Amino acid sequence: MTSIGTGYDLTNSVFSPDGRNFQVEYAVKAVENGGTSIGIRCKDGVVLACEKVITSKLLKAGANKRIATIDRHMGAVSSGLVPDGRHFTSRAREEAASWRKVYKSPITTADLAGRMGGYMQAYTLYSSVRPFGVTAIVAGWDSELELPVDGQVGSGPSIGSGGKAKDKKYGGPGLYMIEPSGIYWGYYGAATGKGRQTAKAEMEKLNLAEGKMSLLDGVKEAAKIIYVAHADNKDKEFELEMTWISNLEGPTKGRHQEVPKELLEDAEKLAKKALDGDDDDEEETKDENKPAEADKMEE
Amino acid sequence: MNHLPQSWGRPRDDIYGAYDHSYLQSNGPNQHTQSPIVTGTSVIALKFKDGVVIAADNLASYGSLARFTDVKRLRSFADSSIVGFGGDVSDMQYLDRLLSSLDTREAYCSSGHSLNAQNLHTYLAKVFYKRRSEFSPLWNQVLVAGLDAESKPFLASADLLGTTFSAPSLATGFGAHLAQPLLRKVAPDEDAVAKLSEEEAVQAVKESMKVLFYRDARSLDKYSIAVVTKAGIRLKEDEKLENQSWAFADKIRGYGTQVN
Amino acid sequence: MFRNNYDNDSVTFSPQGRIFQVEYASEAVKQGSVVVGIVSKTHAVLVALKRNAEELSSYQKKVISIDEHVGVAIAGLASDARVLSNFMKTQSLSSRLTYGRAIPLERIVSAIGDRAQTNTQHYGKRPYGVGLLVTGVDETGPHLFEFQPSGMTQEMVACAIGARSQMARTYLERNMEVFVECGREELVKHGLLALKESLAQDKELTVENCSVGVVGIRGEGMKTIEGFKLYDGQEVKKWVDLVADGAEAEEAMEVDS
Repeated sequence: MTSIGTGYDLTNSVFSPDGRNFQVEYAVKAVENGGTSIGIRCKDGVVLACEKVITSKLLKAGANKRIATIDRHMGAVSSGLVPDGRHFTSRAREEAASWRKVYKSPITTADLAGRMGGYMQAYTLYSSVRPFGVTAIVAGWDSELELPVDGQVGSGPSIGSGGKAKDKKYGGPGLYMIEPSGIYWGYYGAATGKGRQTAKAEMEKLNLAEGKMSLLDGVKEAAKIIYVAHADNKDKEFELEMTWISNLEGPTKGRHQEVPKELLEDAEKLAKKALDGDDDDEEETKDENKPAEADKMEE
Repeated sequence: MNHLPQSWGRPRDDIYGAYDHSYLQSNGPNQHTQSPIVTGTSVIALKFKDGVVIAADNLASYGSLARFTDVKRLRSFADSSIVGFGGDVSDMQYLDRLLSSLDTREAYCSSGHSLNAQNLHTYLAKVFYKRRSEFSPLWNQVLVAGLDAESKPFLASADLLGTTFSAPSLATGFGAHLAQPLLRKVAPDEDAVAKLSEEEAVQAVKESMKVLFYRDARSLDKYSIAVVTKAGIRLKEDEKLENQSWAFADKIRGYGTQVN
Repeated sequence: MFRNNYDNDSVTFSPQGRIFQVEYASEAVKQGSVVVGIVSKTHAVLVALKRNAEELSSYQKKVISIDEHVGVAIAGLASDARVLSNFMKTQSLSSRLTYGRAIPLERIVSAIGDRAQTNTQHYGKRPYGVGLLVTGVDETGPHLFEFQPSGMTQEMVACAIGARSQMARTYLERNMEVFVECGREELVKHGLLALKESLAQDKELTVENCSVGVVGIRGEGMKTIEGFKLYDGQEVKKWVDLVADGAEAEEAMEVDS
């Protein structure tokens, strides 16, 4: 690494002569060593999934959740330094709560991403702090309906708040990824952590930009991606954790919740099967699995 | 006419006399709420063997004006408790948002929700007491209905002073005078509560709501009623008082539409 | 003077994305004497090895009661532990005052976790030099959490931290399947046996150098909790005797493994 020994990489908020902030780049290194986290934006909801590497046999199985609820309709997961991820979460919760206090309505995913992007960027500005050692993925469902204002007690005028363009769709799924530099983008499928390259490659196959993926398919794909991304790190055991937010008609009614146990186990089973099949013939297993999944959806 | 901007929105001096500027004085002690503005009247509640029934009408009055007639004064919390609000409606909305943020905070924990009605009542009482100690009271009296830590029926009140009280039946506002005696007849003590069925309790509460509508001039015949049990909350927000009989008022003359 | 340029403070990442100051702080935990924690379905126990600075001084307190339902064991800088345990006491008390509710374990643990994280991200602060084992009961039953200077907190079924704690952890890993069904007495015994694994050659458990803390539930719900009880001095004798070297202890060891 050319930066080492130049002295420009010892302090946060300092540019090197070629215009880089090395401390931020080093923070990214901490992220790249963390467990894989992904998010998939589907047409009727969003899925978050993460790989929790089991660091000790003595850990309580199923406890130690990594995906956090930010507000009722929003969740976040991060890769990198776990305590930094908790800091991110608690700030995000404060932002969501303060938004509600001011506007009496839930924060949109885009707005939260903006606020948190700003917050993380502030930690690259001063020599008195260090950047966040996490990249976070934020997922939410912004209501497409006219929601009552927080604390509303009567039905109020029936014409709604107005000021809306005709034929324009409001609300919907939101998925954003925020990096240690404070930069953030919206995604159809986001991945970070150790297995991000593999995960990205898998997600690109899904044609998420078409907006046809259903949430239930998304859950299964997410599980599969985490399993595939973990395959490069096979010697270590891991736990899969998944949460989702559906639209108001869907299974979570617009709330951020854990994916139900049976569904999670189903998805894991399919993921393992797909992974075993991958070794022999990738294409064939895929074709076999697709109709089976489609059948499940119909139920 | 005086067209100067500082006179805009004030009563005309030539008609009402000189404006009393003492109201606008910025020196002197700071004053907060001195009286409620838009108000809800009574809330009544009664414990029975497996839960609590609670009711309040859907009216928000502005003085003697029946200003809003679809106001929901029973607010549910975490699908396990009901808070019934009497008093200032905007303070009720503030408290409702406060409880909603508390609910959101509780849901962060992966182990799930654990604030029961008793915890909620303790919390509300502390909020009331803190605000009254700041001389900025939240002008309400509330009834909290639900279950306690041992899953037994729980009912308690808290008010703008931070006073708390608990009994087999409770009523706020006019209800304390008009409905409370009726409810006490049904459930004088905890032993009676242990024998009271849900149907009997609902019946007693509905009867009391009717009496309140007969006698309380700030009440409405549209009301909300909720039953809280271990199974959860059944909340109905658009009920109408049935089988009203104004026979008792037959001989009363000189009020309302019957002017002679 | 320094091992490298990146370990002067906790606001500097190394090129590999490590924060050396935080890693050094965890070394301080390994300097502390060993503490062990285990949970079963009904109980959570803490056992600790106490040290005295010199022959004539008293032994450093290792197990602290926080509230009726929570207790902690410490390894590392005891003064840092006191800051954290005082903070926990405040948090716990405020929950009882505001809601009339015993604070859920996950909450109190993440409160100290968040506090410790702040110390790793701001210049002029230093990470806490102490590790904690937090045990307690709440509505969801008994719990054991490990807290590290990095701010990392994890729920465990059993855990040991401090000097030579690897041996105790090995014991715990070997026996972890049986813990869940253990009663109060059995659980303490496993804790003490794990602790003994980590003792230096010439050391043994005595009433002077051993502390035991137990908390549990009697039946369903919070009303029947068995509050956190700390055994020190003569009170701890009955536990120490349980695993004293001798025929009885040998037998116990065999049953357990």
